[in-house]
Amino acid sequence: MSAIPLDFPADRITDDLIERRHYARDLAPVPGILVKPFFKALPDGIVRPGNVEQVAHLMQQATRLHFPVTPRAAGSTSYYNSVPVRGGIVLDVNDLRDGIDLDPMHHTVRVLPATTWFQLDDALQQQGFATKSYPSSAVSATIGGWVNTQGHGIGSLQYGSLGEQLISLQVVLPDGQVRTITRETNPPLEWFVASEGTLGIVTQVELSVRPRPIAEAHHLFAFGDLSSLGQSIQTLARAEPRPYTIFFADDGYLELLQRGGFHVPFKPTSDARSLLLVSFQGESSQIEGGKDLLLRLSGHELSADLAIEEWSLRLFHLRTKRVGPSLLAAEMWLPLNNLAPYLHDVATFAARRHQIMGNYGLVVAPDQVQITSIYPADERHTFAYLAAIGFTKQLYDLGARYGGRPYGVGLWNTAYLSRLFSREKLAELRRRKAQLDPDNIMNPGKLYAAPFPLWPITFGPGASALGIAHTLHRRKM
Amino acid sequence: MTKQSPSLGETKQSPSVGGKDPIFFQGLIEEATVCAHCGYCRSVCPTYAGVGWESCSPRGRIQLTQFLLEGTPVTAGQMTRLYQCTLCGACTTVCPTRIDLREFWLNARAETVTHDVLPPGPGAARDHVAETGNIYGYPPEERAGWVEYMLDAPADLYQRDTAEVVYFVGCSSSYSPRVQRIAESFVRLMTAARVDFTILGQGELCCGFPLKVAGMANDYQHLMEHNLERVCAKGAKTMVFTCPACRIMWMEEYAPRLPGVRMLHATELLAELSAADRLSLNPIPPRDGDSIERVVTYHDPCDLGRNGGIYDAPRQVLGSIPGVRLIEIHERRERGLCCGGGGDLEMVDPALSLRIAEKTVGKLAATGAETIVTACPQCVRTLTRGAEQCAPNVQVLDVVELMASALDSQ
Repeated sequence: MSAIPLDFPADRITDDLIERRHYARDLAPVPGILVKPFFKALPDGIVRPGNVEQVAHLMQQATRLHFPVTPRAAGSTSYYNSVPVRGGIVLDVNDLRDGIDLDPMHHTVRVLPATTWFQLDDALQQQGFATKSYPSSAVSATIGGWVNTQGHGIGSLQYGSLGEQLISLQVVLPDGQVRTITRETNPPLEWFVASEGTLGIVTQVELSVRPRPIAEAHHLFAFGDLSSLGQSIQTLARAEPRPYTIFFADDGYLELLQRGGFHVPFKPTSDARSLLLVSFQGESSQIEGGKDLLLRLSGHELSADLAIEEWSLRLFHLRTKRVGPSLLAAEMWLPLNNLAPYLHDVATFAARRHQIMGNYGLVVAPDQVQITSIYPADERHTFAYLAAIGFTKQLYDLGARYGGRPYGVGLWNTAYLSRLFSREKLAELRRRKAQLDPDNIMNPGKLYAAPFPLWPITFGPGASALGIAHTLHRRKM
Repeated sequence: MTKQSPSLGETKQSPSVGGKDPIFFQGLIEEATVCAHCGYCRSVCPTYAGVGWESCSPRGRIQLTQFLLEGTPVTAGQMTRLYQCTLCGACTTVCPTRIDLREFWLNARAETVTHDVLPPGPGAARDHVAETGNIYGYPPEERAGWVEYMLDAPADLYQRDTAEVVYFVGCSSSYSPRVQRIAESFVRLMTAARVDFTILGQGELCCGFPLKVAGMANDYQHLMEHNLERVCAKGAKTMVFTCPACRIMWMEEYAPRLPGVRMLHATELLAELSAADRLSLNPIPPRDGDSIERVVTYHDPCDLGRNGGIYDAPRQVLGSIPGVRLIEIHERRERGLCCGGGGDLEMVDPALSLRIAEKTVGKLAATGAETIVTACPQCVRTLTRGAEQCAPNVQVLDVVELMASALDSQ
């Protein structure tokens, strides 16, 4: 390879330009004008190690030669978490998959990192077990990828975050050492959770699993006002039996689906504006107890068939993208008790800006929701798209008024570091990075500090100006 | 509302083929923009699993098509990625933005023809068809040669002036020695059930499917005209196919010009005949290693199942054969595995096709069955090659062959 001389099997390395371009983006398309002047998103090469030894060999060379390494699995996040910003090598881990080794006695499983959550759960189900939780992008999201993000999703309300389920990790450190990391080792396992590939390459994951639930039940409700929705969710999130998951969506989300040509469980009216899906899994007694719990809700319960259909669509929220054809989003953690006022303010915000917006999310802890506020855009019209991107910051700002903070950091959300971490926490994260990766070769430019274009002094006014431009553009339409 | 045995895996079937959601194709650029790059498609793609580079994932192929259409310089070699695809349809079943990806691939391949960056394999097939009327380039006069090998063939060699049913044999079963037995078996079964049928003999030409899926819409129109003329002359009310790809081609391209003519896969006709008690079958003897029954597993062909919507008929046929016990593989119906033989992949990358076949045979053999049954000559060909490499004790049969052997046993 011309730019970076590497000793690696020829069939597992490439510097082909077309191939490299595939690795220079993630879920969210970002116009070149926001990327090219500031970042080198196009990698110099791609390597696909086939085993942990090859990963270690690559990292030893990276350390010796001081070139950046950006690990990538599904590449399905939106913040450039797995897109390089300083060129170098993208380490495509996708050949490190399967290797599912279940310990039925201890209810644990070892698995290679690029196995998807769908594949792991599917394999476990055939052996009488199941994952405790999984992301709402489980069809493509990988085990290692979710370890490296926040790890909250479907099932987290009942079983906690992925971090709580982890037992050990095999990690290749930036200097090429292969280490088994537990909660007792130095560095401990907690360091690597949500570290976004900046501390090492996860090459095996050991986590706890659960026996396959005996039964499950799904209940779908329609709510006429956001306050009732919010109150009902608060009641459920703290109750016993604890629901396996709680999903909610507002009328904007349903409207987007309808505009996309999809079937919706009900057409939004003044009596039915938002949707709530409550799912229980476990023993029959839990299911029955759940039914009693639901009697306390003020919403209108819809048919069982609709509830099951909505459950079957839980991994397919991206259907809303068909309206766009692009979709922009602000993904946030939000205190549960502020859900209703946030949704109300987003609706007001959207109406004032003549912009259709939808909201959906999961309750991931008794006091926290993971909410995604979405709106359609069209990346083919660069100016309008750039202007629409400005809205995202306004949504994050709106969420911040209610204690919300972005979910995930990557590159783009480094603009919100002060909201994401306390000063002490950020200092601690930087200390860990300096200890494990003193040459800053692992996924550099992410997580720990905002680059110049994302400094508050440059990013804030720029994004606000784009948002205003978008509003003016919408009014003209 | 309460459902037993919840499984995350169950969701893969919905909202896809069996769900209420529509699928869309509004143009290459439009759908490429709609693509979320979420990678759902990648996780079910058999060729991505075999190649490993992002450019060989469905979302990578979509981006590659964008590169082509926006004028990025690309080579025929790079465009090979668009043909390293079996058109198995698995990507469409999981696409959350509901892109009709099969339609996308066909249109994208047509763009490689337009932009003169077509890889060499499909071009050779086009030349063969132009010269001989079949994809192999074999002599056209040998198209019905398989009948002449049948000891019990009637004097008319199944070529009648008129008939209620036309059996369109297809190139594979006409010429490929391993799967000629499928055609032989099917005519035996129809004869036993006293079906009034005919084949077209030398009058049959390639249906055009391999050229259509290569993006060569201009190169199969003359085949269609020829085949339509021959079929119309027979006065048939039903056409039947042992090849699911031929059936799809006829349903998509020919059917509008044959109003009122039923287009059935062989298993559909056999299921009807069986239900009407028109077939007398004897128990199939067990294979060595099986104790009492013939233990089989069924492989859903992509062009019959996901792309053709037929899952039950072959299972009904299997269920009607005495002495057969079916063990279903976990990956079945909408989640069925790909044999590696579709989408012209064999012409472009035979080694990849074989790797996929070996992997699929491995999973099918892991059910414990010693016989893999499918319902597609191309699946039989590729799975047989896969079995030769990795599971030599496993027999691969078309369901038509298995059923016909029940006519013969005893």
